[in-house]
Amino acid sequence: MPPLEVILQQAFNGLMLGVMYALIAVGFTLFFGVLDVIHFSHGDIFTLGAFAGLSLTFLWAAVGIGNPAVALLLTFLGALVLTGLIGVVAERACVKPLAKAPPLMTLLATLSLGLVIREAVLIFYPRGADPKPFPAMLPGGLFEIGGVVIRYENLAILAIGGAAMVLVDLIINRTRIGASMRAVAQDAEAAQMMGVNLDRTVDFTFFLGSALAAVAGILNGLYYSEIHFIMGIMGGVIGFSAAAIGGLGNVYGAILGGLLFGVLQTLAAAFIPRGSEFRDVVAFAVVMVFMVFKPTGILGEKTVERV
Amino acid sequence: MTLIGVWVVELGLFVLVVAALLAERPIALGATVAAIGIVAVVARSSARVWRWVTTSFLTHRTGALAGAAVLALVLPFFLRASPYWTFIATMALMYVTIGQGLNFQMGTAGVINLAGAAFAGLGGYTVGLLTVRLGFPPWLGLLIGPLIAVAVGALLFIPILKVRGHYLALVTIAFGFIFNILMNNLEFTGGPQGIKNIPTLRLFGYAFTTPPQLLGMTLPSHANFYYAALVMAALVTWLAWRLYNSWVGLTLNTLRDDEIAAKCSGVSVARYKLLAFSIGNFFIGLGGAFYAVMVGFVSPPDFDFGYSLVMVSVIILGGLDSIPGIILGACLLIPLPERFRFLHEYRLLLYGAAIVLMLLFRPRGLWPATVRRYGLREPAASFGAAGGLR
Amino acid sequence: MSLFATRGLTVRFGGLTAVDHVDVTVDEGETLGLIGPNGSGKTTFFNAVTGLVPAEGEMLFRGGALRGLEPHVICQRGIARTFQLSRLCLGLSVFDNVLIGMHTQVQAGVWDALFRRERVVSEVRHALKQAAHLLSLFNAALVDRGFDPVGVLPQIDRRRVEICRALAARPRLLLLDEPSAGMSPEETVELMKDLQIVREEMPGLSIIIIEHDMFVIEGVSQRVVAFNYGRKIAEGVSQRVVAFNYGRKIAEGIFAEVARNEEVREAYLGRQEAARA
Repeated sequence: MPPLEVILQQAFNGLMLGVMYALIAVGFTLFFGVLDVIHFSHGDIFTLGAFAGLSLTFLWAAVGIGNPAVALLLTFLGALVLTGLIGVVAERACVKPLAKAPPLMTLLATLSLGLVIREAVLIFYPRGADPKPFPAMLPGGLFEIGGVVIRYENLAILAIGGAAMVLVDLIINRTRIGASMRAVAQDAEAAQMMGVNLDRTVDFTFFLGSALAAVAGILNGLYYSEIHFIMGIMGGVIGFSAAAIGGLGNVYGAILGGLLFGVLQTLAAAFIPRGSEFRDVVAFAVVMVFMVFKPTGILGEKTVERV
Repeated sequence: MTLIGVWVVELGLFVLVVAALLAERPIALGATVAAIGIVAVVARSSARVWRWVTTSFLTHRTGALAGAAVLALVLPFFLRASPYWTFIATMALMYVTIGQGLNFQMGTAGVINLAGAAFAGLGGYTVGLLTVRLGFPPWLGLLIGPLIAVAVGALLFIPILKVRGHYLALVTIAFGFIFNILMNNLEFTGGPQGIKNIPTLRLFGYAFTTPPQLLGMTLPSHANFYYAALVMAALVTWLAWRLYNSWVGLTLNTLRDDEIAAKCSGVSVARYKLLAFSIGNFFIGLGGAFYAVMVGFVSPPDFDFGYSLVMVSVIILGGLDSIPGIILGACLLIPLPERFRFLHEYRLLLYGAAIVLMLLFRPRGLWPATVRRYGLREPAASFGAAGGLR
Repeated sequence: MSLFATRGLTVRFGGLTAVDHVDVTVDEGETLGLIGPNGSGKTTFFNAVTGLVPAEGEMLFRGGALRGLEPHVICQRGIARTFQLSRLCLGLSVFDNVLIGMHTQVQAGVWDALFRRERVVSEVRHALKQAAHLLSLFNAALVDRGFDPVGVLPQIDRRRVEICRALAARPRLLLLDEPSAGMSPEETVELMKDLQIVREEMPGLSIIIIEHDMFVIEGVSQRVVAFNYGRKIAEGVSQRVVAFNYGRKIAEGIFAEVARNEEVREAYLGRQEAARA
């Protein structure tokens, strides 16, 4: 048995990853909630968010915004809006037109759209095949508590991720558009009859989910100090896995699933032999087992097919 | 007389395609491609021409098939100056094999499999391990590889029965990733380097590396693999056709479209889903094993998620559940980006865009599946007014 | 001895009891009507019988217990059904949709399909003739369209194809779940004729039919059971009907008898309307 502080340290690291996964997972779960679809290109939207953020840091440097806090804030805001809009375009192009088709069609279309986005980043971003260094914009330094080393940087990531989630929760539960989202998730037809604008609600949902992916993308860049066009594959699969573990359609489930996945991955990396190589095998094996024995997820509801 | 017409059409297409493949100067390439385009547009825009083409190909199906077979057999002679194009043609045939397998799962039975590359990889790695590590002859590897793909596929039996739709997609993607990570990190599979120096295929003392002498001409050694792939693809397509035009195809189509209706008609959904999945994996694994024997090495990037998507693209472009469509899909999707080298960089981007556009505007593919006729030619009415039920 | 009987059949979804201790029996060659308002548990009763939902209580068919068997095994035992919302495979041909009904009688397996095709072909030919015969009982024009996708047919023909699919399984007991659903009044009349043809052609077949349309029930069934709240509320003999309401059988008997039953009238019309009528 490894000492407690080592476990705690790993759990803390896992939490960092988990926050990013959770942000992606919330998008998956929101889309599923309003349209009953899995938007498989969401992982690549996450990549786009990271690259949008990176490009914006260059832009701010070029126009002479020196204050790191201001630059960081502007980077987030800009990337959020940009990525959110791209998410809406993706939905309009690929998801909405196929909403009535068999689910396999949406699945394949969004998978392929993801491929398009991924390859577009590779080809059109300057030297897109290389990993891109991401500038450090968070305060350095660290402190220790009970043998656990905590970096300010990491605390900032947790704080930003946490704030984004709280914000989403407020939007969903305290605003008009949030009420529309909840209504559509319950019953799209009934919601429309009550005067909810379905198109606008769906658009907004994709904007919100994609903007969250952008937050995750930038946090990912800040955490690893580099981003890569390929990161969306894993990001997407893990995000979907997290949403599925938590129970598709349930925002809290997605957050829980993301955190669980992150912690599971780090613990596996730390405590099994050659764990850093096999951590994803463990994590995905857990996902597969979960899907078989509890396909509705931790907080999901059972769906009954009508005969 | 129409049979001659059918052959003329086939020959004309063949000449255009070969010309397009071999054209060296851009202007020649442009001219041949334009010619193909014009032929296609004329055929499709004139209802009379198109009706003539479809009816005469249908009535002379055997003759048309024989003509196509002859052309496929002589193709290497026309490509003999270019081992590269012989190789690409072989790859296309390999994708026909894999496509038929994947289509049997996804198109016919509706069992989602986004780990096609992993099952091909299981076939390929089996060949590599058996030949390089254990000294088996490659032909034995070709036989055992697909069986290993089927056997490892059994790990997914429970998910396939208990999980459906998007969740099954997730499970298979996860399976593909696990395969890739394991291949990358296990010692006995050679890690990121993979397995090199897989000995070449030898049948009855004939090594597939010797350039074959046929009809007084010397073909590139790749022609050996071309003919082997042709036999493999034809055999697999033939088997797939037989399965499709039988009770098996009917049963799988029914459970794909409506599982509850299938159950209440007495279909054991579990049995048939696993059957479809396993048969499909056999074909996919066979394709992968062939690939290993042909190129002589296997490594993890040859079987990553991107290739699973390429396989899916083949069947969607051609037409889900359409056996001729799969052939068309593979023969378009594999050579095209090779021909237009400037497109090569954009290859996957174009695959993705093509699939999105297909799904939006032509979801049944370029050659849509038609109603099952069980290989019978009689009109429906001829089955009427016959023996009673009881 | 009856062909089919349930004793205390109960289906629960969480806290909701959809079918509540229902006893129903059907004799050989008999047609039993099931009536009851929406949500009274009629379809759930069918789903329980065909193994689609887990149930408690007893189900006996030809002397054997059905409970706990998988749907496809129950079909093999000789129970076939249609669905309220059509469950045809719209992209498949008319013939295919009927042929799948013969699944349990098919001899040729995968091996035959691959390597002994002549067996498959001769079996398929025979099956196509049977399918054509069944279709021509209802509408001879359907045979000519045998290789057309079912999706191009009008509603009434689709319903006919679905009934043919069920009959193709050569069932001893046929469950018809609201065959007139989605039909125009003219189509309903045609459908009734079709059902009478089935009755005449297959005198040994037992049928349970769910109907909202009292006219259909009166025309085809010998006995009616009324359900309410998952219970049988009434039953009438000779023209027997079982009425369901909210999962319970509320009545059973001759159609006229059941239709007069207080509880049935109430379940259908509401309390005040019933009092006025």
